[in-house]
Amino acid sequence: MKTVTITIDGHVLAVDSGDSILKAALKSDLYIPHLCHHPDLPDISACGLCVVEIEGIEGVKSACSTAVEANMIICTKTEKLNKMRRLSMELMLANHVDDCTTCPKYLKCELQSLIQYLGVSTARLKRTLNAVPVNTSNPLFVRDLNRCVSCGRCVRACRDLRGVDVLDYQVMEDDRIMVDVRQHHRMTEENCRFCGACVEVCPTGALQDKEGVFTADLNREIGLSPCRSACPGQINVPKYIRLIKEGQYQEAIAVIRERAPFPHSLGYVCMAFCEDQCRRKEINEALSVRELKKFAAAQDQGLWKDKVGIKTASGKKVAIIGSGPAGLTAAYYLKKSGHEVTVFEKLPVAGGMLTTGIPAYRLPRQAVQAEIQVITDSGVKILTDTEITDLEALKKLGYDKILIAIGAGQGTRLPIDGADCDNVLENIAFLKNAALEISPKLDGRVVVLGGGNVAFDCARTARRLGATEVSILCLESREGMTASPDEIEEGLAEGIQIINDTSFYAIENNDNHATGANCRKVESFSFDENRKMQLKLVPDSEHVIPADTIIFATGQRPEIPAGWDLPVIGGNLIASADEVKVKDSSVFLAGDVSYGTHSVIRAIASGRKAAVAIDLALGGDGKIEDVLAAEEVTGSWLGRDETFLKKQREQPAQENPETRITGFAAVTDCLSANNACKEAERCFQCDLRVAITKPKFWASYGIK
Amino acid sequence: MREFETDVIVVGGGAAGLAAAITAAENGAEVTILEKANTTGGCANMAMGLLGVETKLQKERLIGITREQAYEKFMDYTHWRSDAKLVKKYIDQSAGTIEWLQDMGVEFALPSKYFPGSEATWHIVQPKSGKPGLRAAATMIKAMTERAEELGVKIMLETPVKGLIKEDGEIIGAAAKDKEGDLEIFGGAVIITTGGFGDSPEFIEKYTPYEWGKDLYSYRIPGLTGDGIQMAWDAGAGKDYMDMELVFFAPNTGGYAPIELPFRQPNVFVNLDGQRFYNEAVVENPVFSVNAISRQKNRVAFSIVDDKIMKKYEENGFDLINVVTSSMDMNDFKQEMEEHLKNGSDVFYVADSLEELAEKTGINKDGLIAGIAQYNDMCQTGDADFNKELKYMTPLDGSKFYALKFAPSAYGSLGGIRINDMTEVVDDSLNTIPGLYAAGTDANSVCNPDYVFVLPGNTLGFAVNSGRMAGKNAVTYIKEALAE
Repeated sequence: MKTVTITIDGHVLAVDSGDSILKAALKSDLYIPHLCHHPDLPDISACGLCVVEIEGIEGVKSACSTAVEANMIICTKTEKLNKMRRLSMELMLANHVDDCTTCPKYLKCELQSLIQYLGVSTARLKRTLNAVPVNTSNPLFVRDLNRCVSCGRCVRACRDLRGVDVLDYQVMEDDRIMVDVRQHHRMTEENCRFCGACVEVCPTGALQDKEGVFTADLNREIGLSPCRSACPGQINVPKYIRLIKEGQYQEAIAVIRERAPFPHSLGYVCMAFCEDQCRRKEINEALSVRELKKFAAAQDQGLWKDKVGIKTASGKKVAIIGSGPAGLTAAYYLKKSGHEVTVFEKLPVAGGMLTTGIPAYRLPRQAVQAEIQVITDSGVKILTDTEITDLEALKKLGYDKILIAIGAGQGTRLPIDGADCDNVLENIAFLKNAALEISPKLDGRVVVLGGGNVAFDCARTARRLGATEVSILCLESREGMTASPDEIEEGLAEGIQIINDTSFYAIENNDNHATGANCRKVESFSFDENRKMQLKLVPDSEHVIPADTIIFATGQRPEIPAGWDLPVIGGNLIASADEVKVKDSSVFLAGDVSYGTHSVIRAIASGRKAAVAIDLALGGDGKIEDVLAAEEVTGSWLGRDETFLKKQREQPAQENPETRITGFAAVTDCLSANNACKEAERCFQCDLRVAITKPKFWASYGIK
Repeated sequence: MREFETDVIVVGGGAAGLAAAITAAENGAEVTILEKANTTGGCANMAMGLLGVETKLQKERLIGITREQAYEKFMDYTHWRSDAKLVKKYIDQSAGTIEWLQDMGVEFALPSKYFPGSEATWHIVQPKSGKPGLRAAATMIKAMTERAEELGVKIMLETPVKGLIKEDGEIIGAAAKDKEGDLEIFGGAVIITTGGFGDSPEFIEKYTPYEWGKDLYSYRIPGLTGDGIQMAWDAGAGKDYMDMELVFFAPNTGGYAPIELPFRQPNVFVNLDGQRFYNEAVVENPVFSVNAISRQKNRVAFSIVDDKIMKKYEENGFDLINVVTSSMDMNDFKQEMEEHLKNGSDVFYVADSLEELAEKTGINKDGLIAGIAQYNDMCQTGDADFNKELKYMTPLDGSKFYALKFAPSAYGSLGGIRINDMTEVVDDSLNTIPGLYAAGTDANSVCNPDYVFVLPGNTLGFAVNSGRMAGKNAVTYIKEALAE
């Protein structure tokens, strides 16, 4: 492109010859008022605000539709032009609601900033506004035509940028021409892709995202992808889903690997907070993000390993207590950062809850082992069967920093009569023994107390260990249970009975041997504003549910050795200011021990955070990020697709329940390549919106 | 973490913040404004004008109110509940502030009353085109923004402040966040000007007698979340009188919408029992009216007129006018009425009889019929209940009845951060927090207990004037600290 010289308002500018006057001016940090122009869209010269005068040319020209020519002398701020602009503005405002105060776009509105810049008030012209109801009929966008100035940016974004072509100027009932969905249809009828480009380019409050779809106060890159912002590890979900769709599986797994060293485990057991926030769930079920992750991890050929950055040895030593996902994640990143890392695990196997908490039918051991192998291959030393009871002794061994990542490995028994009987067990210990294959066979009736996911782990494990009749007994109604719907469904299929709305107050026992749970029926239960439980029982509803074994699944907590002498809060968490650093010590925290029982993905995120903090404390730069996947050049074109909104969520196959309960083999299969691709195609690709240029307001220009 | 240094940090780039920044820069300070939105002006973009007393504009128009009279009126009205020294400084400075703005290129249309019983202290900004109306002050914001930049003030847009940085009891900076992440700005003084808590239902419920959406339908200008007040409190600031800047509107119609025109008149206002509850001639004072409405059941009232009154207004104009609605007439009303009838409405009702009106509005039927009958009688004999002047006593005996529901609303909030007459933030024991200043609506506890409507222009007036004071005081403080 050639460079030519033009003069605008006395400023001599060297500009690209192909540009319009407006584009050239804005690129040179010189402001010319404009509204229908958007840097990413073709210009249509509709709003009448970018008018300029050019020496030697009669009349005024639209700066957006007039190309620069060498030696042009242009005036943009004459009183004549400002008068014309004000008239254009007044005409727009006469047809626009006066009340900005209820508009979420307030102070982010280009129209409002033009009112400031041009000094326009509404009071001169007769109002031409015919109020129309705000359209909230689609689940993701709010369309308020009372705030529309017919600039047509949304029409162009949908048609020219995305190729979806849902919006157009339409004749309304009262013969006015306004922007609407083609044929006055609903957006879904016209196969909207819900990419949000129209909302992104709208200069006013006419098109908005529904409240709550995005989390406010996050930076755009993450905030505009709700799946990514909901993920504690902030894995770039839209990017790897797109790569799966394109068949680039090795790139996809590299994207996940950039944020988490346990992708395959997550593919099996992640709580998938991303799916809760997925915008597609408003149309027909969220993307199956977890299954796609599992699929990508299953294809992993380890090509990303070549790109992992390893820093030179620092000569520093870090001790990590606990080999769960938090501890091993921190270990991996600290080792990469050049430190010598030793992980101490008191059990005979590494992996924490991944190997001894979550049952193998949900998370196959070989998946975890392969991921731990990558970490040990990197040089991390794991010492199993090694319990640390004395931190001082550990320090004397020459460790510069200690990371405590012991998780929450102690089940809690409620202090009720009979709780200590010989055949009453605790959730975590029971699952651990089952995982280590040192649990006795079970038979007869097992009653599990509690209604969360761990209760299902216990119940389904008990079934696999031979119990003939397994019941889950919980306070909540079926709908109010905290266990995930998948667990409930799979548990029921395996013959687990769920007894809802029931409170237990004692263990019926005989000579230190439990024979059942003493129960009452619950009329209602809730939590008050102080999070105190409000329980109302049905009078005279006492009854006994007989049992040969009873398992408490009523919570768990960290097991902090008495000799550690660390500040404890909330009864059983180690105190820290920011969930990472223990005050006035060389001790750091990661995982459940710092914030209470949560998820694998949060443990991984916490491990990364701890690795950064420890690296900084050891004099490193705290930069643990790896770029493992190639930078992606995303297109902006989506095109029309009549089948897009109808595509149903793909489900992987499951083993049948009768086979399932005979052992600990994985229950859920992996999606096929074909199904994974189909599933990935359902993604709205919310992140494409980030690439749309954000226009600057007048106040941000140098010359205005 | 990126770190910056400056002399004066201003949190919020609205009218008060810009005034503070310009003044501090005029006094030689390096100033940074941290503004969370994409543009400056905050809630002042919706404002119209500000208070001035003894301005040239007033003198030219023979508006004779003096500083002494205004001060007395202000203090009488507030029963000396507000900081008398601060009010004195504010009123005395106000004329100079108008000139200061004029020197920046701001033009004023006229010093105006709000309603006939108020003083003409409201200096409404003249937009570049047309008559002054809603949003007129946006024009002033542009002039102030340009003046600030001309003086070298650094305006950081889209940079919300997360908290103040305190060291050894002194405020030394602010922690903020922008597109690239966290940053810390250190300076000699911090001025908080974030415009109050009008957009925070939590603050409203906690610190005022109202609950938003239930008995209060106030403007919720996005961004006014009380964040500045909270960060001042977190840094040890005391709490001063807090309330809403109350007025009354038909809920969810936007405020002063044309649909209200014939109903914001001195006819008949009844409560849910169908009973009158005040002298409707007071309707021109929105503050007094909302206080009366707030005492009624469910905090709602209905203004009722009949077709005869509608016709009268159409032919002869309204009984009462105020500045905000002076550009609208019955044609605007009729247009909006059509929309309400077409789209359905939960505030506007039409009926062929009082019985039907009672059914539609939920007003007690017997009470309404008896109440209106009694009122119609009193139109002959005089208002024995509230002494309303006879000229406003028109019987409701037409063949069509119209009612509009009114409820408490507000432009925003008032007060929160306790300051002294030097605009220094003080704790509950009145000890200053060195380095911390507040101005504008966050610290507007001079309107106590009510917005001083008799001297209109107080919100923007206090914002700009207290902002100027804070800018000057902050520079003096920094210079003294350097001299030590």
